[in-house]
Amino acid sequence: MIRFSNVTKVYGKDTVALERLNLEIDAGEFVFLVGASGSGKSTMVRLILKEMEPSAGAIFVNGTRLSSVPRRRIPRLRRDIGCVFQDFKLLPNKTAAENVAYAMEVTGQRRRVIQTKVPQILDLVGLSGKMDKFPEMLSGGEQQRVSIARAFVSQPPILVADEPTGNLDPNTSVGIMQLLHRINRTGTTVVVATHDREMVDVMRKRVVALEEGRIVRDKVKGAYADEV
Amino acid sequence: MRFNLGFFLSEAFKNIRLNLLMSITAVTTTFICILVFGVGLLVSSHVEGIIGSVREDVSVEVFMPGRGEEEVMALEEKANGWEEVASVDRISEEQALAAFKDTFREQPELYENLDRGVLPPSLQIQLTDPDMADEVAGKLKAEGFTEENLSYPQQTIQRLNSVTSYMIWGLYAATVLFLIASVLLISNAIRLSIFARRKEIEVMKLVGASDSFVRTPFVLEGLIQGLLGAGLAALTVVWLNFLFVDWSQEALTFVPISGTSVSTASVLLVLVVVGVAIGVGGSFLSVTRFLRKI
Repeated sequence: MIRFSNVTKVYGKDTVALERLNLEIDAGEFVFLVGASGSGKSTMVRLILKEMEPSAGAIFVNGTRLSSVPRRRIPRLRRDIGCVFQDFKLLPNKTAAENVAYAMEVTGQRRRVIQTKVPQILDLVGLSGKMDKFPEMLSGGEQQRVSIARAFVSQPPILVADEPTGNLDPNTSVGIMQLLHRINRTGTTVVVATHDREMVDVMRKRVVALEEGRIVRDKVKGAYADEV
Repeated sequence: MRFNLGFFLSEAFKNIRLNLLMSITAVTTTFICILVFGVGLLVSSHVEGIIGSVREDVSVEVFMPGRGEEEVMALEEKANGWEEVASVDRISEEQALAAFKDTFREQPELYENLDRGVLPPSLQIQLTDPDMADEVAGKLKAEGFTEENLSYPQQTIQRLNSVTSYMIWGLYAATVLFLIASVLLISNAIRLSIFARRKEIEVMKLVGASDSFVRTPFVLEGLIQGLLGAGLAALTVVWLNFLFVDWSQEALTFVPISGTSVSTASVLLVLVVVGVAIGVGGSFLSVTRFLRKI
């Protein structure tokens, strides 16, 4: 589903973020990318979203080589990848429901479809009572639920999350992770970049550990750190 | 993909409402710029109207100081025979003085001591074609009159042209400069409002909005603002024109200013079209430039 082939990313002249990285993620997998700040997790997420280009190597998403996707086709690519961020990235002038609806509007969905789908998905993330609230009136956990609802409303085959619990307290984080787990069970490939040790240890999913731009460990049903 | 005008329009109006101060700035800037542009347009079309009405004056006047009545009548008969001439009016010394008195009836001191005979008799020769003025003038010179005895539109136009052509070009240049300044000012206002919303645009792109999907509400916003600012400015310009024509007909009786030299409908149209074009073009370019950066 997602494949990194010999990917190197250098920022500026000599800041190496990723070095000759190879990784393959199959359809339906749930993968944690773990590592300290600056280990290259966010770089991988941004490369998957084609927010930037690798310095060398190739990235394949859903069978498509990203470097061959022209600029004007990027929106179509992104509609297949739901994304969730540490800072939620909600539109401040839109209510929870409007934020979710926007992701459907961009794909040209009919109004009637949007009007039935949006309440369903907000109900799924447990926000049916807060549809008409603006982001600033919601707690961090609720905002992150809205952003997950938005990422998932079009049922994309892939969902990537960059530190989704980074701004949340542990209890709220558990709820968010459970939500991502539920989404994964519908068949969606989920990639979560995080340094939330507790969460990774609880979930027991595939863990890819990064250090200075290289994969130092890749373990099915792994933990955040090496187990003794 | 289906073009959802309803969604884009509601987005545009919502943006205007939420960024009200920015919208007012853009509308005000457009209003002021289009107003000044419109006034420039008014002044130049009035000046052109004046020149045009002088050009249409197809008469050649020949003054005949010291000539007797028979001589004047002889020339009148002769001139009537020329093919370029439509009609000839004879103005005697008395008529000339009467006309002079009438023109300066407010300042009787000017003619108090004038005798008849100070103003020469003259012939007013109407031409069939204004371009023939030079030839008629030539024929009159052959009759023994000098350039000083003649008054005909070619002279007026030449004199007018040398003065007004600079003026008109100056006006056009000023108008064009102002238009450029308006475009820069307005696109700067739009750029500011887009910069204030750059985070939003980035988010829109991340959830898969195409460039045109992000751009359309902004362009509609520019269209609405341009329409509002330019529409108000155009109405103001037309109103100012009415005031000016009314005033000039009382205060500037010598100057042939007419209400018809400015077509209200076309002024309205030109100003609104320019305003809307600046609004639409400005927001289109600003958003596109911003979209290329992310």
